[in-house]
Amino acid sequence: MSNNQLEGKIALITGGRGGIGRGICERFSTEGATVYAADLAKGEGEMPSRVQYESLDVTSESNVHSLMAKIESEQGKLDIVVNTAAIEIEKTIEDTSLQEWNNIFSINVTGTFLVSKYAIPLLRKADGGSIVNFGSYDGFIADPGLSAYCATKGAIHALTKAMACDYGPEGIRVNAICPGYIDTPMLQSFFGESGDIESLKEEVRNIHPIRRYGTPKDIAGLVAWLSGSEAGYATGQLWVLDGGLSAQAQQMRL
Amino acid sequence: MKNNENKVALVTGGAKGIGRAVVERFREEGMTVLACGRSARPADLDKAIDWHCVDVANLEAVEALRDAIKKKYDQLDVLVNNAGIQIEKTVLDSTDEDWDLLMGVNAKGVFYCCRSFMPLMIANGGGSIINIGSISARAADPEMALYNASKAFVHGLTRSIAVDHGKQGIRCNAICPGWILTGLADAAFELASDPVAAKKDALARHYIGRFGQPRDVANMALWLASDDASYATGQMFTVDGGLTAASPVNPGLF
Ligand SMILES: NC(=O)c1ccc[n+]([C@@H]2O[C@H](COP(=O)([O-])OP(=O)(O)OC[C@H]3O[C@@H](n4cnc5c(N)ncnc54)[C@H](O)[C@@H]3O)[C@@H](O)[C@H]2O)c1
Repeated sequence: MSNNQLEGKIALITGGRGGIGRGICERFSTEGATVYAADLAKGEGEMPSRVQYESLDVTSESNVHSLMAKIESEQGKLDIVVNTAAIEIEKTIEDTSLQEWNNIFSINVTGTFLVSKYAIPLLRKADGGSIVNFGSYDGFIADPGLSAYCATKGAIHALTKAMACDYGPEGIRVNAICPGYIDTPMLQSFFGESGDIESLKEEVRNIHPIRRYGTPKDIAGLVAWLSGSEAGYATGQLWVLDGGLSAQAQQMRL
Repeated sequence: MKNNENKVALVTGGAKGIGRAVVERFREEGMTVLACGRSARPADLDKAIDWHCVDVANLEAVEALRDAIKKKYDQLDVLVNNAGIQIEKTVLDSTDEDWDLLMGVNAKGVFYCCRSFMPLMIANGGGSIINIGSISARAADPEMALYNASKAFVHGLTRSIAVDHGKQGIRCNAICPGWILTGLADAAFELASDPVAAKKDALARHYIGRFGQPRDVANMALWLASDDASYATGQMFTVDGGLTAASPVNPGLF
């Protein structure tokens, strides 16, 4: 794909310092976009060119509000929103406290709601805005011991379609990407005691039709496409990107 | 509305496995049951079952069976399209003969039976068609290309019949069994490098804690055949002990 597809575009990426968020920032930078990478903390490492860190807690309405005001005063518009900010808790519902439940919903679901809600007026000022939400493979089928997370991702799938219906008439497109297993800190935490990605590679090779894990780069490629003009007719869809995993029936390990 | 005792049912591929379990379950409920298969009447089949030696891929044989049912019962309430075969090959390895054989039974056979028997059902106010689909129609089993595709055909035909003939009193649904433990599955475990480990792993993927039995599918078929299911049509019902609800990437099992 040619570079500079997103030349002149203003993009906001929440969770922009996370595993997938960083991959998206890098790709957007090479595509010529001006990027606001919003996250709880800046963390380690350099920012790519034209990528600016912004401190943001997506659960805070006032935080979201002031970030939008800042983008408006600096740019006067917003073309692209990518909602990646999320957390995962590895528990069954019995082990999940109400507080934990409310917390994960406030980040994964309410966060996507708040950021999108306050971005819409700015997206209207752009020539055809795009929102990309983060659902998950887990929004369709479950990982054991991950109930609240799976539920938040199912909510994102439904929210994505609803937003696409409501804002399609104004030329604002809304899609969700549903990644399978992507090599990031979040996945590492899910694997926990079972080992690291290196040691599990053999198993993973055997399970995925494409014979490897996904990378943030893989996801960033789809985000870039969905956010660009080539995808001008794509809206309201759930884009599964999982190395073919969900195309394959479970196999007996003989 | 009709009690099960007053129903006449035909089960294709009724000699063994899932088909046989459906035959027996229907019989226990007092239905009049006809069964057919390519082979001669199984020696241990209940005397009350009306057995016919019929290959569903052979239109003449199917139509002769229809004439016989019309003459003897002048009624058919339930049709279970269970007869099916599988060929373990990729597209590149599949021959024309493989296509004719597999599609002849799994696709054409279902079409022949639906087309031949539906008029008899409609003439009596309608009936229930139960096709045996598969979870492999939704997510592929490797090296089972034609089989997977034939089951996707069954799902598509199921919806079409429900849509086209609902107004004539026909309900049409499909059951998607997961791994049902027949003789075949045990043989597969025996072939594994470590049969005990293979069986343990397979069992762990069934969240209900056991493998499926032909009777599990038969119980679903009975419900679909009964008037309790009078609002159920055009659907694929999965009975798989939870297998497809969960991701195959389960680090706890690595
Ligand atoms: N990694 C995978 O395999 C995978 C699979 C399916 C879906 N996803 C989804 O992709 C997205 C990105 O995941 P990742 O793997 O990069 O995870 P990650 O943990 O590396 O990154 C998530 C980022 O979100 C930020 N965040 C958390 N709470 C926040 C808040 N209140 N306000 C602002 N930012 C906050 C974190 O600081 C972190 O930088 C998530 O929505 C995740 O659910 C990931």
